[in-house]
Amino acid sequence: MTVELATRLIDVLGGLLLFTMLLILAAGQVFRAIYAVAAQAAFLGVAGAVLAAATGNVDLWVIAGITVVAKAVLLPWLLIRVVRRVRIAREIEPVIPVHLTLTIAAGIVVLAFHLNASLGPVRQAITGNALPVGVTLILIGVLVMASRRKALVQMVGLFASENGIFFTAMAVSQGMPLIIEIGVILDVVLGALVMGILVLRVRSSVDADIADLESLRG
Amino acid sequence: METTLTHVARTAAQAALLVAAAPLVTGLVQKLKARLQCRRGASVWQPYRDLAKLLRKGTVEADTASPFFRAVPVLVLAATVATTAMLPVLWAPAQPAAVPLGDAILLVALLALARFLLAVGALDAGGAFGGMGASREMTVGLLVEPALMLTVFSVAVSAGTTEVGLLAARRAPLALSWAAPDLLALFAMLILALAETGRIPVDNPDTHLELTMLHEGMLLEHSGPGLACIALATQVKQLVTLTLVAALFLPVGLASDSSPASLAIALGAFAAKVLALAGFLGLVESSYAKLRFFRVPHFLGLGLVCAFLALALRVL
Repeated sequence: MTVELATRLIDVLGGLLLFTMLLILAAGQVFRAIYAVAAQAAFLGVAGAVLAAATGNVDLWVIAGITVVAKAVLLPWLLIRVVRRVRIAREIEPVIPVHLTLTIAAGIVVLAFHLNASLGPVRQAITGNALPVGVTLILIGVLVMASRRKALVQMVGLFASENGIFFTAMAVSQGMPLIIEIGVILDVVLGALVMGILVLRVRSSVDADIADLESLRG
Repeated sequence: METTLTHVARTAAQAALLVAAAPLVTGLVQKLKARLQCRRGASVWQPYRDLAKLLRKGTVEADTASPFFRAVPVLVLAATVATTAMLPVLWAPAQPAAVPLGDAILLVALLALARFLLAVGALDAGGAFGGMGASREMTVGLLVEPALMLTVFSVAVSAGTTEVGLLAARRAPLALSWAAPDLLALFAMLILALAETGRIPVDNPDTHLELTMLHEGMLLEHSGPGLACIALATQVKQLVTLTLVAALFLPVGLASDSSPASLAIALGAFAAKVLALAGFLGLVESSYAKLRFFRVPHFLGLGLVCAFLALALRVL
């Protein structure tokens, strides 16, 4: 694969990642947000494969495969299972209105692309345009975590943030070493498991929501 | 002189084609919806029969309506049909025309004018549903029009012109090499197209239930030939929207001369593009429920943010 083609494909995939991120933000239902983050991870896997094909880095093939299997299939499946099990209301409960988060997200994207100009030396040739997209994904993922009440949607935000970290790593280096990537993905899987079990247990024992925990007094 | 004449003749031919084919597109979407719902559905020519029937009927007017009310359908139809002059359907001129007939900004403005006239007509008749429909339609318009402008600008920046025909001709060589801003603009445009054509999840074209209708609510007081004009205007607006999407994002197969071969290719490409987009409308309409009206701003807000980002990414 030529460098030019790879650059263009990464560019397009960056656009798709941004769009899925907006879908997560605009999703009115928990399921939609989960499907959107699964699609985002799938696009990320494709981006990893494109970079692997362009650079001939074998580690990247493995990482792309793990990304698709773990983050696009396994974790969304787990989240959907938990949603079905706890039978929570399907609506996302935002702390601030959705259109306000969308506005903030637009500001974040503009800011990230604006800052991109001053980050010249860090960027690689192939994935240079990916840097602001990665930064955007990280920040909007945090925004999702901060602005949603449901623990499961906060998990979706965490996944999106993690996708952003992966994409940023691809932008500033030719992908991180395999051992680090596997460590990061294991971290996320473990986090998801703990969170999922916690949600199930909390739900079954005290029937409380994350927001209710705020009113606890010691 | 020669080129100006051919330009005007081509524009007239394209406008005639768009107006003549508009009811057929509506018929196709309805047929597709019927098939997806396991019904046989009416013939694809049904919209033509409906129009012919309405043209034969007399007009009934509300006592409270002013004389302006009678002019509204004609003005709406005129404003909508005028937009067809600004779109490349079969021909895409390589050079700017000597007498430009209008660009994308005028196109969006004319669509907004038609929307405004329709809303004023609905308010003028004094019916409660008309007023409700008008207020809702203007709310939707408030979100759709700026997003439409942003999307058009995003594409126009890359081509260096706002004239849609010229824009399509300049982008034709790189038609399928979309960059990230193009993708975001396309997504925004598809969301906006659903709203502009008055389809689920924003509006339901089949209903006359008072709580759900947007566009239909404004038509309740119209009857006979007036209603036919507005129905035709709605269909033309739908085809104009689809053609705009095709011209901005799929500018392939457009003819540059008048040879029969390239014209046949252009006609085939136009039919294929419109069919694909009409299929998209029908599929979305069959697989989604109509949004509660207060959720519509969320949906359109997504389109607005996408359009904004498409422009921001292009400029930054």
